[in-house]
Amino acid sequence: MPFVAATRALGAAGLFAVSVLRASKPTRDFFAELTREIYKIGARSLPIVAAGGAFVGLSVTLLGYRALETYGATGQVSVLLGLGLYRELGPVLTALLFIGRAGSSIAAELGLMRATDQITALGLMGIDPVAKTVAPRFWAAVLCVPMLTAFFVSLAITAGYFEAVQVIGIDGGTFWQSMKDSVDFHDDFLVAFIKAAIFGAISALVAAYVGYHAEPTIEGTSVATTRAVVNASLLVLMFNFVLSALLFRS
Amino acid sequence: MTATPDTPAVRMTDLRLDRGGRTILHDVSLDVPRGSVTAVLGPSGSGKSTLLAALTGELEPAAGRVEVFGEGVPRAQKALLSMRKRIGVMLQGNGLLTDLTVAENVALPIRTHTNLPDPVVRRLVEMKLHAVGLRAAADLFPRELSGGMARRVALARALALDPPLMVYDEPLTGLDPIASGVVMSLVRRLNDTLGLTSIVVTHHVHETMPVADHAIVIANGHIVFSGTPAALAESQDPLVRQFLDGRPDGPIAFDTTARAPEAA
Amino acid sequence: MRGPRLEFAVGAFLLLALASLLVLALASTNNKWGFGGHSYPLKARFSTIGQLRVSAPVKIGGVVVGQVSDVSLDPQKFDSIVTLSIDERYKDLPSDTSAGIFTAGLLGESYVGLSPGGDIETLKPGDEITLTQSAVDLMQLVGKYMFAGGGTPAAANAKPAAASTSSTPSDAPTEQTP
Repeated sequence: MPFVAATRALGAAGLFAVSVLRASKPTRDFFAELTREIYKIGARSLPIVAAGGAFVGLSVTLLGYRALETYGATGQVSVLLGLGLYRELGPVLTALLFIGRAGSSIAAELGLMRATDQITALGLMGIDPVAKTVAPRFWAAVLCVPMLTAFFVSLAITAGYFEAVQVIGIDGGTFWQSMKDSVDFHDDFLVAFIKAAIFGAISALVAAYVGYHAEPTIEGTSVATTRAVVNASLLVLMFNFVLSALLFRS
Repeated sequence: MTATPDTPAVRMTDLRLDRGGRTILHDVSLDVPRGSVTAVLGPSGSGKSTLLAALTGELEPAAGRVEVFGEGVPRAQKALLSMRKRIGVMLQGNGLLTDLTVAENVALPIRTHTNLPDPVVRRLVEMKLHAVGLRAAADLFPRELSGGMARRVALARALALDPPLMVYDEPLTGLDPIASGVVMSLVRRLNDTLGLTSIVVTHHVHETMPVADHAIVIANGHIVFSGTPAALAESQDPLVRQFLDGRPDGPIAFDTTARAPEAA
Repeated sequence: MRGPRLEFAVGAFLLLALASLLVLALASTNNKWGFGGHSYPLKARFSTIGQLRVSAPVKIGGVVVGQVSDVSLDPQKFDSIVTLSIDERYKDLPSDTSAGIFTAGLLGESYVGLSPGGDIETLKPGDEITLTQSAVDLMQLVGKYMFAGGGTPAAANAKPAAASTSSTPSDAPTEQTP
């Protein structure tokens, strides 16, 4: 019965999430691991997020300009860009890029640790493997995805500014003023980064769960990596809808 | 229960081990004398690693009893942890953490379970690495090591807390003859100089026999031989002979039997 | 990457991220960081509020001075009571200040515009603004101009059509045209 199996899988994943939170203790070792993971999954994702942000900014500005030209409302291009980025594109696209780059590497690393008996060894040495391997990656993701989103959005807006003002010829002052008038600090800016942190948590949990429980073989590791990316991406898109629906006040 | 010097390091009585609903081993009774090197031999899939899992407390026996230094293997977390500190395990995959250097890997059990200051820990790590001949590799990463070197680092780490019982799970997998010789001679030397008891689970009969005091052969789910290596070489039991001579046909089935379709 | 170099890289990453957050917050948002402090309420009644919603801006002469904090219906008189949350910096508004619901641009959002009068007496927190101008329904306006004046047969025939397609409430609207 696939339904029973799916419910059991969900339950197992939920228990895993709880065990990760319980295993997170602020020791000196933990911070060393956390620092290393922030470098591996955060700093090393910066290039792809920055490049992605710039190109998205350019595309949305161009798209927005074409759409608004019909209504003579081209001065609102920056509003489209700003609100689009903060409300949806920023958190979601950054999370998807993060999943592809860092989520896959989390799953692969944990799968490899499983296959080379590192996780068993930790258990036999009396060290909680979840505390040592999963918890630092989880918290690193929760910290890094909002930061990466900030980079994504800054680059997108900067690229959009150059496209709009230098290439298309919209007035620079109008660009910034219309954006500032429409982007609310609480409802748009803060919400975007809260969403980003939640997406980071989801991505890390899914990737870690799949990698940690992978079959201890080479094939198992590769299957885990694929599953991690697919499942995490779907969950992020799902949660994005749920969060937007919940947080949208009108 | 206080253990006298005569208490065997490990005693298994009428042990039955199940995994995934199938009985892997049954009627297992053996004694591992202190200070000896005991080889547990058998073809792949015969349940040798399952035996180790029962020893370290990872697998609960379906029936029977496992005693380590006179005490039953506990199930409670803290008691199990304290027993595991007295067993050094060298796993088949080495289990060296990829993000830590060799020295940090060996230091891991020491730093986790003791409050010794860093300089003391560093000296201990040097001593352990020296015992396996790898003091120069202290700052390398596991990915920079050859197979034999990685295996020896895992051995050093297993020795970190000076456990009285050492367990080696397939220590010679993937090693060339020289590296194999080095590892086996280390096993013997460390056993004797440090007064350990060692259990080596392997299917590399010819490399292990010169070094072992006692040999046990597992096949078809139970123990088919228990005795000295000399007696093993002369045994006429068909199961043992097939295994020693490497014959494909014999009492030990080579083809897998058809499995019953698993219940949904 | 080990030890000190790793820590430096992570530190640089964190600093860069914080800097970028700060710049984004300052340059691209409306900087409304006020966590609900320092404002006082005023009330105003309108017969219809159109597209006005809670947290819509309140402006004097185009400058934002507060926001709409509540909208409710009077169960007796059936007009809307809109509560305005005005920043305390703009304390002493004359009591003959008028309030109107306007739209920013043709398709923009609705906001409440205040026009201060010249009275010496001022509005106290909780007071009601008496001079109000309700929202203009664009469709109604278009309908009025399209079908008003000239007893032409076309216009006469068009009137029943207008009555059935109009989306305004059946009771006569009391708003004044601007």
